[in-house]
Amino acid sequence: MARHTLLIANRGEIAMRILRACVTLGHDFVCVYTTADAQSGHVRLARELGGPDRLFRINSYQDPSEILAVADASQATAVHPGYGFFAEDFRFARRVVERQRPLIFIGPSWTLVRDLGDKINTKRIARAHSVPTIPGSDRPIYDEMEAVELAQTIFAFQQDQGIAEGCVLVKASAGGGGMGIEEVYDLDKFRSVYRRIRNYAKRNLSDEGVLIEQRIFDFNHLEVQVLAERGGKNAVHLGTRNCSVQSLGRQKRIEVAPGFDPASLTYAFDAAGVLDAITRHSVNMSLQVGYDNVGTWEWIVTPRGEPFLMEVNTRIQVENGVSGVTSRIQGRADGADGVDVIAEQIRLGLGEPLGYTQQNVSTTGVGIEYRILAEDPLDRFTPCLGRIEAFGWVAEPWLQVFTQVPTLQLGDEPYEIPMDFDPNLALGIVWGQSLDEARARGVEFLGGLVLQGTDTRGEPLRTNVDFLKNRTQTLLHF
Amino acid sequence: MDIDKRTQELAARLTYIRDIFGQRENASMAMLRTRLEEFLEQAPHLGMRELSRQVGMLEELFVLLEGKLESELTPMDRVRIVRHPQRICLKDILENVYDNYTEIGGQDEWSIDPGMLIARATIARRMGKKTVHQSVMVIGQEKGHGQEFRNAGSIKPWGNANALYYMRVAEIENIPIHSYVFTPGAFPVEDYPGAAQQISKNLYVMAGLKVPIISVFSEGGSGGAEAIALADKRLMLSHGYYSVISPEGAAAIEGGLKDKATPELIERCASRLRITAADNLELGFIDRVIQEPPLGARPEHYDFFRQLRREVIRATDEVVDSVDGLGPLRGMAIRRQAKAADPQDIFVRWSLGGGARTKLVDRRFEKFRAMSRTACRDNRSLGARIYSGLEGMLWSAHSTLRHDFLARYKRHLLHMLEALEAELRALRQGVGGPLGKFLGLGDGQQRRLEVPPEALERLTLLSCPEEGACRLEDTWVYVSPKSREDRTLTCPNTPTHGCLDLWGPDLFGEFAGVCSHCGHHFPMEFQWYLYNVFNFAQAYEFNSELESSNPLGYEGFDLKLEQAKRQTGLGSACITFETHIEGVTTVVAVLVSPFRGGTVGAAEGEKIIRAAERAMLKRTPFILYSHGTAGIRIQEGTCGVIQMPRVTMAVRRYIEAGGLYLVLYDTNSFAGPVASFLGCSAYQFAVRSSNIGFAGPGVIRETTGVEVPPKYHRAFSALSRGHIQGIWDRREIKKNLHQALLTMGGKNLYYR
Repeated sequence: MARHTLLIANRGEIAMRILRACVTLGHDFVCVYTTADAQSGHVRLARELGGPDRLFRINSYQDPSEILAVADASQATAVHPGYGFFAEDFRFARRVVERQRPLIFIGPSWTLVRDLGDKINTKRIARAHSVPTIPGSDRPIYDEMEAVELAQTIFAFQQDQGIAEGCVLVKASAGGGGMGIEEVYDLDKFRSVYRRIRNYAKRNLSDEGVLIEQRIFDFNHLEVQVLAERGGKNAVHLGTRNCSVQSLGRQKRIEVAPGFDPASLTYAFDAAGVLDAITRHSVNMSLQVGYDNVGTWEWIVTPRGEPFLMEVNTRIQVENGVSGVTSRIQGRADGADGVDVIAEQIRLGLGEPLGYTQQNVSTTGVGIEYRILAEDPLDRFTPCLGRIEAFGWVAEPWLQVFTQVPTLQLGDEPYEIPMDFDPNLALGIVWGQSLDEARARGVEFLGGLVLQGTDTRGEPLRTNVDFLKNRTQTLLHF
Repeated sequence: MDIDKRTQELAARLTYIRDIFGQRENASMAMLRTRLEEFLEQAPHLGMRELSRQVGMLEELFVLLEGKLESELTPMDRVRIVRHPQRICLKDILENVYDNYTEIGGQDEWSIDPGMLIARATIARRMGKKTVHQSVMVIGQEKGHGQEFRNAGSIKPWGNANALYYMRVAEIENIPIHSYVFTPGAFPVEDYPGAAQQISKNLYVMAGLKVPIISVFSEGGSGGAEAIALADKRLMLSHGYYSVISPEGAAAIEGGLKDKATPELIERCASRLRITAADNLELGFIDRVIQEPPLGARPEHYDFFRQLRREVIRATDEVVDSVDGLGPLRGMAIRRQAKAADPQDIFVRWSLGGGARTKLVDRRFEKFRAMSRTACRDNRSLGARIYSGLEGMLWSAHSTLRHDFLARYKRHLLHMLEALEAELRALRQGVGGPLGKFLGLGDGQQRRLEVPPEALERLTLLSCPEEGACRLEDTWVYVSPKSREDRTLTCPNTPTHGCLDLWGPDLFGEFAGVCSHCGHHFPMEFQWYLYNVFNFAQAYEFNSELESSNPLGYEGFDLKLEQAKRQTGLGSACITFETHIEGVTTVVAVLVSPFRGGTVGAAEGEKIIRAAERAMLKRTPFILYSHGTAGIRIQEGTCGVIQMPRVTMAVRRYIEAGGLYLVLYDTNSFAGPVASFLGCSAYQFAVRSSNIGFAGPGVIRETTGVEVPPKYHRAFSALSRGHIQGIWDRREIKKNLHQALLTMGGKNLYYR
């Protein structure tokens, strides 16, 4: 295979993982960093593995012109966006491949990034391919009569399903971030809520379109990790993940693979059937839209065991490692302790064929990923800024830790938590033969973790380690 | 004593002649100079009688040679005459032409705008022993023989507003308006209101003013002149000029703003623009020329004032005669007395009756509609012209039948049907209470949701399978060629807003030329609007055969015009078509900036008028989209500037017939069109980052010496001073336009 130079347009632990994958695959890499981020682990690692000429300082991780200028200066041939920043920016993906000196975008083609990047559009595509989606509208509704009819139908649907208290979600189609969204429990109040949302949308978003959906309570959030090769002819999945432990702002905190564990827990519905259905639907849809890189199909599963497709993430995700540790590819030399999803992504992105089919992929054991953050779970998960003075963990064969924070002992030069970027400090992934073993190892890992520091007010740094430990006991119960 | 005074007068006359002719000294002037010098040398040695004889001879010589010099006047000399401080002023006219007057628009420098003089004046007409005083409203610019506070007759917007107010007063009092035009142009200030805003308002109101308006031109500089000169009779002093732009301005544009315009170039431009009274009479923009004494009228020419008085009285009589049925004898007498010495002994009542007032406005429109008709080229064959004429007649008949005749009865029928339907619904819904229950129509029961089973099934299916599962957002039909270049653009707001650099294909493709960070609008091609906003692919274009031409034979303009036609593939800077915007039939006129800067000449004016007439016949909304206009096309001279009142009148007729006239601005729109038919709309919207105003920053600097702040002409300033009604994002024009059509037009989009 030709030797490529990858520009890693990201920072932190994902940049480090991409960097390691590049080295493993035998490619060159180029890293970027900003002044505020010079202490980050990816800068140290890049200097260690590639030397100072592989590092470029930029003003912003978010300026495409600057990133591409670095790519030209360093003669890079491909760009890896990681997650966040440019990962789901179809304009960047398009620009990368359509400029005069085209580069390879490690990710799906830009048209797919665009089409699946929009939730409403994804819903339409899913429905066109007979994939179940949340009952409700799949396009912005502008007509009041139509909206009322739809709301009526959704209430009737819930009555038929035996849901005692039906609820309809009304949201502005151009909205986001929790604005312009309201729940309606009573059909008589629907009209006034609809008008309120419509007027809000017209005033603030200059688009009157409104979406109307069934509101589903107490659902589980499942994901299917899909790998597909360029050309979109072959696709496999690496099993499911359950990401139901989330913060108040719906940010994931613990991910478990597989999504349900019918072997050791009992469910009110056919859990194995659900897992089978969502993986089947995800892979089928990926083949039908011609999906051509790694991606995640996100599902919600209702308490009655109905899966509905929510969205598709056209990028590598933070929690890719947890699918990696529970998957095995038959006949692969490196397949003994899991699959490196990022290495697979780079390989597929550069145009290599998949080289195996679903029959060669098996899942084994249970993996749990913890996201360790400096935040206060008792106070609405408010992020906590400050410096880390001691950081370390007990190395185990069943444990992987990804972090940009250096291992520190009390008395070392402390690590300042940069305030410009996402607040993740570290990811810890444990693996066990069974759910019980994985949970025990998870508690063991969190117990042995050393994480001390002071926040900006001089008080001890608050972290979510205890929250993670407490929630471990109830994982996958539904 | 007497001799001294006469000698001084002769010296003053010589100085005046020198002022007029500028640098050039010809034989006649040299002769006058030497003879006067000789006389002054000899004078101390001469006796009284001899002195008197010689002065008499000199005076005769002056008269003779002034007559000779008169025939040598170039257009630029005439410009110097009207600008000379000794030129007659409005005050002189008020004192000498009218019998009595009271200034009402302010006094001297204590006025809202000392340049604008407004007075109620009377003219006494004697019939035998009886004297009748007739009132008129006199409005005009006062230059005050060089008084500085008069600002040389350059009127600020509030001066024009004041004039407009008293024109309305005249309309209420039903007295004629005499307007005297002594202005080099309006003062280009954008205040509350802006210059263009106020002039357009003046034009719009004057177009429908129901009293006779007589205007007399001495110095008619473009927009400033039009603000008070939309008249039923337009007279012109023989040494006056009436032009689209001052010769200096034309020379500055012609020569390029970099190097200073030379006097020769200014002379050449003055003669090319055809600005003199004789030229304007020939082109049909004025009705009569009032002969002045040689080398222009000055306050001491009392004969001239007498003549002027006769002319304005006669003009007013004629206007009244044309609409108000005078007695047959008097009508005949007026017409016969056109050449007679003293027309004062026929009495005509100048206040009009009801019917005559509406007729007057119609006549005024017809008069202006006929102007500059031949100034554009019509490439249609004779057959095509006959056909379109017939088609127009047919449409007109159809329109009358359908909208005027049938609509009246249709409305009654519809009201009846609506009422009936509402009754039935009330009955069905059980509003009738016991009656409803009795009939078994209402159900007083707790309702269970009744939804057809197929609706439940549809809840998780694709709502519109025929649309496919593709993206819902619009993709642009016309994609700019600029979006195929791989280049990075920097938004001009980057220093203040911190915008990131933009990639060409993104910016000119998906973003429609709008900076995604700050919303700055980069210019887009006019085709983008045609196809993406106005649905040009399905439109019916009409009058495309009307092409711009060179009516004045302006030297070197033919070539430039050919070049513009070749480059854009258009015949003129205006495209008119009928189209559907989201299902609403509309007539659209587009001013295209790549064609000679989107300037408006005779062809463009004619096309817009015809488009307005078409919209009126078909009862559709009329949208005028200015993709950019630099003003009136100066190379067409007065043929261009006359489009201001012409098109405004056509648009006013359309609006008064009940039409919806909507104006949309983009990029830069300046000068004449904004100060007339664009600015007069009640619904004007602008695309963000566009500039709207009367004169550009360069012109303001040159004419007033004021350096304007950088965002002086921005759409947001226009919005805050009330010129436009809203600012739209380019990506949402179509949606906003549709919304505007739905809210401002009624059910049939033809309202009131």
